[in-house]
Amino acid sequence: MTDTAIEAAGLGRRFGRRRAPALDGCAFRLPMGRVCALTGPNGAGKSTLLALAAGLLRPTEGTVTVLGTTPAAARERLAYVAQNKPLYPQLTIAGTLRLGRDLNPRRWDARTAERIVEEGDLDPGTKIRALSGGQRTRVALALALGKRPELLLLDEPMADLDPLARHQLTATLMADAADHGTTVVMSSHVVAELEGSCDHLLLLGSGRVRLAGPLDELLAAHTLVTGRAGDALDPHTVVESRTTGRQLTALVRPAGPLGDGLHGDRPSLEEVVLAHLRAPDAPPLLLDAREAAV
Amino acid sequence: MTALDTLTTPAVPRRTSPSRGLVLAMLRLHRSALLFWLGLVVVAAGALLWAMGPGADAAWTEYTDTGCDLSHPNLGCDIPGPANSRYQTAVAVGIGLIRLLPLLTGAWAAGALIGRELENGTAQLAWTQSVGPLRWLAAKLAVPAVLLMAGTLTLTLLHRMLWSSDLAPLGVMSWRAWYDDGTFEINGTIAAAQALAALAIGVLVGLLLRRTLPALGVAVLAVVSLVYVLDEVRPHLWPVKTAVRGLEDGTAGSDSMIVETGALTASGARVPIPSCSGEPGCDARNGITHYYADYHPASHFWPLQLMETGLLLAVAALAAATAFVLLRRRTGAAV
Repeated sequence: MTDTAIEAAGLGRRFGRRRAPALDGCAFRLPMGRVCALTGPNGAGKSTLLALAAGLLRPTEGTVTVLGTTPAAARERLAYVAQNKPLYPQLTIAGTLRLGRDLNPRRWDARTAERIVEEGDLDPGTKIRALSGGQRTRVALALALGKRPELLLLDEPMADLDPLARHQLTATLMADAADHGTTVVMSSHVVAELEGSCDHLLLLGSGRVRLAGPLDELLAAHTLVTGRAGDALDPHTVVESRTTGRQLTALVRPAGPLGDGLHGDRPSLEEVVLAHLRAPDAPPLLLDAREAAV
Repeated sequence: MTALDTLTTPAVPRRTSPSRGLVLAMLRLHRSALLFWLGLVVVAAGALLWAMGPGADAAWTEYTDTGCDLSHPNLGCDIPGPANSRYQTAVAVGIGLIRLLPLLTGAWAAGALIGRELENGTAQLAWTQSVGPLRWLAAKLAVPAVLLMAGTLTLTLLHRMLWSSDLAPLGVMSWRAWYDDGTFEINGTIAAAQALAALAIGVLVGLLLRRTLPALGVAVLAVVSLVYVLDEVRPHLWPVKTAVRGLEDGTAGSDSMIVETGALTASGARVPIPSCSGEPGCDARNGITHYYADYHPASHFWPLQLMETGLLLAVAALAAATAFVLLRRRTGAAV
């Protein structure tokens, strides 16, 4: 057994020779049992990364190892929910779950899948084409969790849900993941919705890894600094600094104690992510690298 | 609730293989296509069976009642009576449905079977269950192929029965020749092979274009072109026999597929039949000594059938292999 859920080395994917690569030289390592938030601006390569890990695309460069093997060999042990929650519109909900049973005969857990459907007050006889976006998401998640995956890849899973359903489904998902030690990778660009449920972060920008590592370590590595305009931030790595009037606000990775006149605060996840999104040239910080970058 | 309750029962993992599940899933997902195909086979088979039994009897009774089977038939015998028309219509329906089949198969395979799944992402849904893309593709090819073969071969057998009885008493009032396109295709292995080729082409086009409507259009175009080209090429798939006759002789065999006719000069060179042919002295003026005809006798039926079937199966195999290579390259899938 391996303790690594996903490991990428020099991972790149190009769509067409003329276009910029969707992913370029990504290296990171996600340990087992983590709930990882995958975030980044639109077009950062989140969906491409998930599709590569799910074995739906072949990398044009580098490798991605999933559950200690190739994505194709790990197919039976991973589940993937695509951004548009594809389901067969002509099937009923019960038919969709039966499809999950037929296609995953060695793993299917009907109770889990049915419970998730029942929690949404859905009638199993309803055709998929008659469902709302949020209801489809629920069925897609039921299909994914019914497979009892060791690794669950979710592309924008909560985008279609109302706040209540989002809260409820996230809770179901997290309880299930905690019960079975499932590794979850969840992409989203709504950072706030990730903070409570995730313990690992992967921030992509322009196809590259900008931040990677356990959430608490990443937050601890950054300090939100306020001071007077003109104060030197020198030995520290500055992610982003802004001056408003005579006030200086900056997000830095401190290299030592802060200088005089500077006041340091612990930033929130949202502040760290937003600062990196606003400053695309800030150096990446990879706290999970170990030997992944080899 | 009842539908779910039946699913709840097994707490132990089932022993069924994903391949069996995949076939079941395929049949359920494409149930309407399956029902359509069953309906089409039933209608075509019904038409042929009716023609063979009551249709033929009625037409024959009509024929004898009007005295057309006697030695002095009247001119009215050249015009089919209503019973004969009904018989001809039933046969035409049977053959017409079979001739439509490659087109329908290609359109369905490209659009509904593959293109739509890739367009709205349900293919990716299937590939992230326990079956990989290649097994998915194998099921997409194999399940419809088996059903198409079963249906077409049934219709072929029925039509061969009809055709053998057709030649006996009804031969005199039916104007079909063994080499007519529709008759030729349904009487042998070609109809089934056409369906298989159309399926493979449709699947390949669907994979290439990944969208329902463009794939449907291109596949129909490709299948129609293939059928058309093979109709044109058919006479050249087996060496012809040549009949040569002198200027005064009668014609060569009537039950033959004539491929080419022309005239011969004294040196044996083949020249086109002159436009004055038939006028006195015309042949001599143009130095023509004989006429010739390249033709396929009825005994060439099976060689021609098997050559064309071979070509169609080669096209099907090539398209299917390309589809596998393409999907494998795209997804990096093992099996």
